[in-house]
Amino acid sequence: MFYLQLRNELWKLFGKKRTYIGFIMLLLAQNIFNLTFKFTGAFRLYERTLEGNGYPAAPFLSALSIYSIMLIPLAALLLPLYVALVGGDLVAKEAEDGTLRMILARPISRIRLLVLKWLAGFVFCGVLVLVLGALGLGFARLYFPWGSLFFWNPELGIFAVLEARAGFWHYALANAMLIPHAFTILSLAFMFSCFNVKPAAATILALSGLFVDFILQKMPYFRDFQEYFVTYHLNAWQFVFLEPVPWWRVGESLSLLAAFNVTLLVVGAVVFHLRDIKS
Amino acid sequence: MTLEAPPFNSPPRSEPPARSMIELEGLTKRFGNRLAVDHLDLRVEAGMICGLLGHNGAGKSTAIGMMLGQVWPTTGRVTVFGRDVTSERSEALKEVGAIFESPVFYDYLSGYRNLEILSHYTAPTSRQRILEVVEWVGLSGREHSLVRTYSHGMRARLALAQALLPQPRLLVLDEPGDGLDPEGIHEIRRTILRLHREMGMTILLSSHLLNEVEQLCTHLVVMRQGRKVFDGTLAEARARRKLVRLDTTDFDSAFALLREANLAIEKHPGGRLTLAPGAATEEVARLLVNHHLPVRELVREEMTLEDFYLELMKHAATAPQENRSSNPGLAPG
Repeated sequence: MFYLQLRNELWKLFGKKRTYIGFIMLLLAQNIFNLTFKFTGAFRLYERTLEGNGYPAAPFLSALSIYSIMLIPLAALLLPLYVALVGGDLVAKEAEDGTLRMILARPISRIRLLVLKWLAGFVFCGVLVLVLGALGLGFARLYFPWGSLFFWNPELGIFAVLEARAGFWHYALANAMLIPHAFTILSLAFMFSCFNVKPAAATILALSGLFVDFILQKMPYFRDFQEYFVTYHLNAWQFVFLEPVPWWRVGESLSLLAAFNVTLLVVGAVVFHLRDIKS
Repeated sequence: MTLEAPPFNSPPRSEPPARSMIELEGLTKRFGNRLAVDHLDLRVEAGMICGLLGHNGAGKSTAIGMMLGQVWPTTGRVTVFGRDVTSERSEALKEVGAIFESPVFYDYLSGYRNLEILSHYTAPTSRQRILEVVEWVGLSGREHSLVRTYSHGMRARLALAQALLPQPRLLVLDEPGDGLDPEGIHEIRRTILRLHREMGMTILLSSHLLNEVEQLCTHLVVMRQGRKVFDGTLAEARARRKLVRLDTTDFDSAFALLREANLAIEKHPGGRLTLAPGAATEEVARLLVNHHLPVRELVREEMTLEDFYLELMKHAATAPQENRSSNPGLAPG
């Protein structure tokens, strides 16, 4: 019965056109990035960094490197926007449309309904990240050759150069790690969606929350307290490009994100449980 | 709707049906400073078609929301099939179907998929069962079309289908004819009557349409500003005031005489009188004849529901707050 109801939630989610806006926009962005790297000097900065560290640049101008570098702005800007959009819709859109009232005329508990929607959101994040990872690499391969992986984020102190085979596995792992990243943002929007607000308000509140968290985290005053900020732990996926992977750092962030997600679900559930559902 | 089609089979119930389907005790709902429902007591017995009547904002939908566990009562208790909706919601609503005004669905999915999704919130439902109900409500052939292509009437049928899928014993209908054309309203009413007669369903119908309630309901509850102002059968409502049409030579003198004798309490245009409770027409005729007022016609008139409702509202509006208890003046004895 639970799986049947989860399947139904997925039907509802994947049956909506607006669910695919994120897919389309992210695919579009990937191709714009590819074209930029192909036809402008965007890779020159990376070339200089590689050569400055004693690596020849040519083998690293590859599909793996380009898409991995591209993941940083995608994960920081576009992905949060689209998962927050879907997360904000999950409960608030049904309340706004009136379908929630019809569901809650049936003998299903509110908590069960929320858990179903939350899990459907998790499946959505998984599908979104994995499809984009696969297609992103596929598109990048159309423009760039297969080769070694170079990933660099000076802010986090990450500098990774990997052989193609090892690079691919690190790339796959990074994409898998993006699922908790996306799901945390979705959970935040989902929690706001449980309040008596419009879907757009839930999305905006979630994105604003993340933005404020990010700004505070970057302020010099809070430098010593960075690990208390969610956006700090949302970067965990980037650390898996390092060889060896700092599993302690990654595991710590994953555990905290898991706890954060459960907390968001609990807060959302309490609010939703206490709410009056009216037409 | 294909009303000629045989009703789908309901499996025999193992447990005897509860006598009282819905019971509200001192139910109150306050939204901030606004009192939406005020100490509402109500009992819907098995086999009734109970009409919940009241103008917009009278508290009908809030009361229904509390019956279905969608709105939390501020105080009071709601039981459905003898189970407390607040604490045993899942058990209480197992055999309840509901339709709300202007039914909404997942427009981007087919009618069939909508029914499947909604019915699975109650229990796993077979494809055969869904198709059976689809046929019964007259949606066969269109069940796989997207709901966004449905007319308003088809949406109403789909709403009925989703309410019937869990094989309910109790149907809660909140303004079911809202937005339908006259033909659609007629079909919905026929279907409600058929569900009641052929399947023995108990129905709670919330409406602000007097003729709808008059045509369908056996029992009537009138709400005003969150309070119940009448609770009784339709016959009781109509018989509440004894209205007679009197044709005599001097109507005003006749009325004065009858009022003095405590036989009449109010006169109306068109030579009509409201008789005092317990006054018989024979007594009225005898008194007038004895006082040499010829009685050319003395006919008992049944009060229409509209007359009753308007009078009830007028009375409730003018009655002092403390006297606006459940049945102010007009309630049956």
